[in-house]
Amino acid sequence: MLRIEHYSKTYPGGKKAVDDLSLHVRPGEIYGFIGHNGAGKTTTLRAVAGVMDFTEGVITIDGHDIKKDPVGAKRVTAFLPDNPDLYEFMKGIDYLNFIADLYDVPAEQRTKDIGKYGDAFELTGNLGSPIGSYSHGMRQKLALISAFIRRPKLLILDEPFVGLDPSASHLMKGYLAELCQNGSAVFFSTHVLEVAEKLCHQIAIIKDGRLIRSGPTAELVGDSSLEDVFLELEGEK
Amino acid sequence: MKKFFALLKVSVKSMLLSSTNSRGRSRKKAATGAGAILLIAFLGLYMSGLYSSMLMQVLSPIHMEVLVFIFMGMGALVGGLLFTAFAVKGVVFGGRDNDLLLSMPVSTTALMASRVAAIYLENLLFSLFVLAPAGAVCAFMTQSGVGHSLLFWVRLLVAVVALPLLDTALSVLLGALVAFLSARVTRGALGQNIVMGIYMAAVFWFAFNLNGMIEGLAENAAGVKESLSWAAPMLWMADGILGDWGKLLAFTACCIVPFALVVFGLGKVYRQAVTAFAARSARNDYKLSAQAASGQKKALLVKEARRFFGTPMYLWNAGIGLIMLVGMGVAAIVMQGKLNEFLAMMGGALPVMPIAAAVMGFCLCTCVIAAPSISLEGKYLWILREAPVGEQPLLWIKTGFELLLTVPCTILAGVCLTIALRLPIGEAAVLLLAALLFCVIHAAFGVLMGLTFPKLDAVNETVVVKQSLAVTLGMFVPMAALGVCALLYWLGGFIAPAAALALPLVLLAVFAVACALILAKKGPAMLRAL
Repeated sequence: MLRIEHYSKTYPGGKKAVDDLSLHVRPGEIYGFIGHNGAGKTTTLRAVAGVMDFTEGVITIDGHDIKKDPVGAKRVTAFLPDNPDLYEFMKGIDYLNFIADLYDVPAEQRTKDIGKYGDAFELTGNLGSPIGSYSHGMRQKLALISAFIRRPKLLILDEPFVGLDPSASHLMKGYLAELCQNGSAVFFSTHVLEVAEKLCHQIAIIKDGRLIRSGPTAELVGDSSLEDVFLELEGEK
Repeated sequence: MKKFFALLKVSVKSMLLSSTNSRGRSRKKAATGAGAILLIAFLGLYMSGLYSSMLMQVLSPIHMEVLVFIFMGMGALVGGLLFTAFAVKGVVFGGRDNDLLLSMPVSTTALMASRVAAIYLENLLFSLFVLAPAGAVCAFMTQSGVGHSLLFWVRLLVAVVALPLLDTALSVLLGALVAFLSARVTRGALGQNIVMGIYMAAVFWFAFNLNGMIEGLAENAAGVKESLSWAAPMLWMADGILGDWGKLLAFTACCIVPFALVVFGLGKVYRQAVTAFAARSARNDYKLSAQAASGQKKALLVKEARRFFGTPMYLWNAGIGLIMLVGMGVAAIVMQGKLNEFLAMMGGALPVMPIAAAVMGFCLCTCVIAAPSISLEGKYLWILREAPVGEQPLLWIKTGFELLLTVPCTILAGVCLTIALRLPIGEAAVLLLAALLFCVIHAAFGVLMGLTFPKLDAVNETVVVKQSLAVTLGMFVPMAALGVCALLYWLGGFIAPAAALALPLVLLAVFAVACALILAKKGPAMLRAL
């Protein structure tokens, strides 16, 4: 579903944020991307989502090259940044319809999905209010709903658990699993190692812009815990 | 005091950076910003000088110079109010850095004062640009020699510094009312739009009345002064500038007291005010019904419309030209008789159609809808970037949205002027063609300026809509193009009447095509690079 080949990103001024990264996320997989602050996780996720340009390498999503066919790649993708800013002048329902229109979601399907996810995240009643009046958690939930109603083949999430209450986090994990059962893939970054260990089929660890370890979670963790492996690889243990 | 100056520095720096775009590494861009500010300063001084000298010519022979300062003072007060009242809600009460600054160990009065000081500085510039040329005109044109003493300039300086205090106090009160209403009314934007609409109507009513007074000046200057007793502080200011220290002191007190009351009064309750103005809790009574689908382009266009009509600051700053354009057309029809009487009196000496075209162009220049639209995406830009839409359609939607508003208003105004001025069909066609080409130039050039001088990290919309370099250039460069058109019309007149009309049209067509081509070829890459 997602193939990253020899991806590098150098910022103006010469700082190399990511260096020669390659990984492959298959359909039906939840792929966790972990690393310390400034390791290059967000830079990678933004490049995959087509939000940010990059210097070297090839990124393909469902066969669409993000550089050569960005619109085709984005049509099957949903991306949520770590702190999603949503149009405050819109009502929640207007925002969902705006996103649904951009992704050509049919009227019947969007009504059904907005109802399903809105009710689950207890947000349906608030959808008639302007986003400017939403709390941080409500905005996060609205952003998540806007991602789910697209029924993406690849869902890219940057720190998705930050700001969500425990029940919303639990719900989200369930929906991520449901998405993967339907053949989609999830690629997300997190600092919550326990969640990554339980939820992910595959994990990649990045340090100073370089991929230092990747593979199936069970193989990577072995008899230890992801926290131990991570700290050992980071040289902190 | 140290803390206040630190806060003031941040406020002023933020204002200057947004006006000049000088944070970037490009010296060329910073120089363009400084150039734009100098251009505005020049235009302000020139226009004020022109009006002052026109008034002084009539009033100096009858020793009523005092009226020049009354009218120019009123002009500065109303102009400043018009310019800053819209900004208060965002700059004083709605900054995105409110949480950060309110959490710091500084008094709320100091914080409030630093925010209000940024508004005061804008009003001070207005006051300086309007009153300084009036002083210069007084020094050169008056027969009594009142403007030749050093003390006259000292008194003028006191007035220049004091007047913006009154302006600022009134702006802050109006801004607080708007912020209060938008937090209390369910449809906040609608409430704000109504308040702003009433305010604008009052300003226009005042401006028209002032115009009427100026017309009757030569016959009854003393009577006009008498009739202005309701604006006593302005009379005191004018008398004070011309030598009455007592009245100058009274005027200064009239400015300082309301300013101090506003700063210290609102400063004491600043935290409560900011909290109350921001408190809008989401309702929980929405019932989901069947949703309708529409296409990508319509969705993007509707989004632009929601932002424009749902952001009063944006609507009233960028939409004022549309109101002026339609208002001018309707007024021309209503006052058709008087207009034609005046034209007959001039004996056909005026180039009527070119003047009509220039006035329409001027109104269109103030419709800066497309220029700030890139910067207004700001923190939301990620939504468009991750969406399956190419950069080019995004840019055309932004250009098209301005055209969607300006073209119908332009056609309506053009038709009204054609009827009112009884223009021949050929001239009417040229007028409409020129105005429509100008619409295209203004919209496409505006988007290009938005891409070249983006302000994506502004603390509020006010900074983008009122102070950004993209908006300044998007307004004044097309205005300069109008000036070049006038020059070409004049030069073409030496060749042939047809050349006088053709040359400006060719210039407009070339400018429009150039803007559209650059936007099509370079625009997408510029948007990607933001």
